[in-house]
Amino acid sequence: MKALVTGAAGFIGSHLAERLLQDGYEVCGVDKFLENYPRQWKEQNLSGLLRHPRFRFIESDLVQLSLPELIDGVVYVFHLAAQPGVRASWGKEFDRYTHNNLLATQKLLEACKGRRIQKFVFASSSSVYGDTTDLPMREDGVTCPVSPYGMTKLAGEHLCYLYWKAFEVPVVSLRFFTVYGPRQRPDMGFHIFMRALLRDEELPLYDDGEQTRDFTFYSDIVGGTLAAAQYPGFGEIFNLGGGCRTTLNEMLQTLETISGRKLRIKKLPRQAGDVRHTEAELGRARDRLGFNPHVGLAEGLRQEWEWLGSCLK
Amino acid sequence: MAISQDLLDILACPKCKGDVHMNPNGDGLVCESCRLLYPIKDDIPIMLIDEAIKL
Repeated sequence: MKALVTGAAGFIGSHLAERLLQDGYEVCGVDKFLENYPRQWKEQNLSGLLRHPRFRFIESDLVQLSLPELIDGVVYVFHLAAQPGVRASWGKEFDRYTHNNLLATQKLLEACKGRRIQKFVFASSSSVYGDTTDLPMREDGVTCPVSPYGMTKLAGEHLCYLYWKAFEVPVVSLRFFTVYGPRQRPDMGFHIFMRALLRDEELPLYDDGEQTRDFTFYSDIVGGTLAAAQYPGFGEIFNLGGGCRTTLNEMLQTLETISGRKLRIKKLPRQAGDVRHTEAELGRARDRLGFNPHVGLAEGLRQEWEWLGSCLK
Repeated sequence: MAISQDLLDILACPKCKGDVHMNPNGDGLVCESCRLLYPIKDDIPIMLIDEAIKL
């Protein structure tokens, strides 16, 4: 069976592609190597995949790529490619977000019209919920993103739903909650903190540290994503969270313990677009997908710490 | 790992969506209509219009 993974050189995409290959799929990966972080990290993500005989890779922009031939024979489309990052989505950078998050998604959905794919899985984000105080966040609850990035992800979900209703493209949207683990992007929190620790630098901490996140280990995200592909329903949305909502201050204490190093914190003001809390209601994902996050925060942080330590030697 | 034929079969020129063929020395994919060469680096076809080389 064939699968298409967009964003295959990225953090989650590369792990997903590996899991699909382990499960016996032929995988075609596409990535345009966005300049949001250095290319070498993404090349490293891909290095094992490129040696696999059932993996093919194309460097391209989904908006430019001729998609019909790419989708021919594909059973599952996993659309993880996106311009990520909440804080960078303001101002003149917004063009990149509309191109890579909206236009690319629309082009891919268009190409899937009338094709015999079994599922189009769209990677959305907890950012769609914004600063809601109605916790835990439910899929049928209020969505009110407070960043342009979050808005493009919510718009992407709506695009998927439209193509399901109008053209029966078999979509499912997944709201990923702060994913972490080996290969986490260098612009994401744990990677930044750990890199600062390894280099004996100050850790930048925005806001007061009492903000919370429902951190989710990458392997739980990959498991949930595969379950969503195989789920018999269409047009639905699921939260994929780690089940371990934690304050950043608590997380930093755990990091001190794991690293055996004392943190030096540089306090910075809260950034525009940052939400105060996230917490995923997982009842729907548990009931319908059999989703069950396995990896706790301490273990997940330990794995990421060991990975980053080996990368930066 | 060289570019496989089944990968070549699904690639088209991003600009005109027409057929591309391998350059005789294997360093890129050529669109005759657009007179563009899309480079292949480390066995990865780079199907980006901005990266294409004018022939």
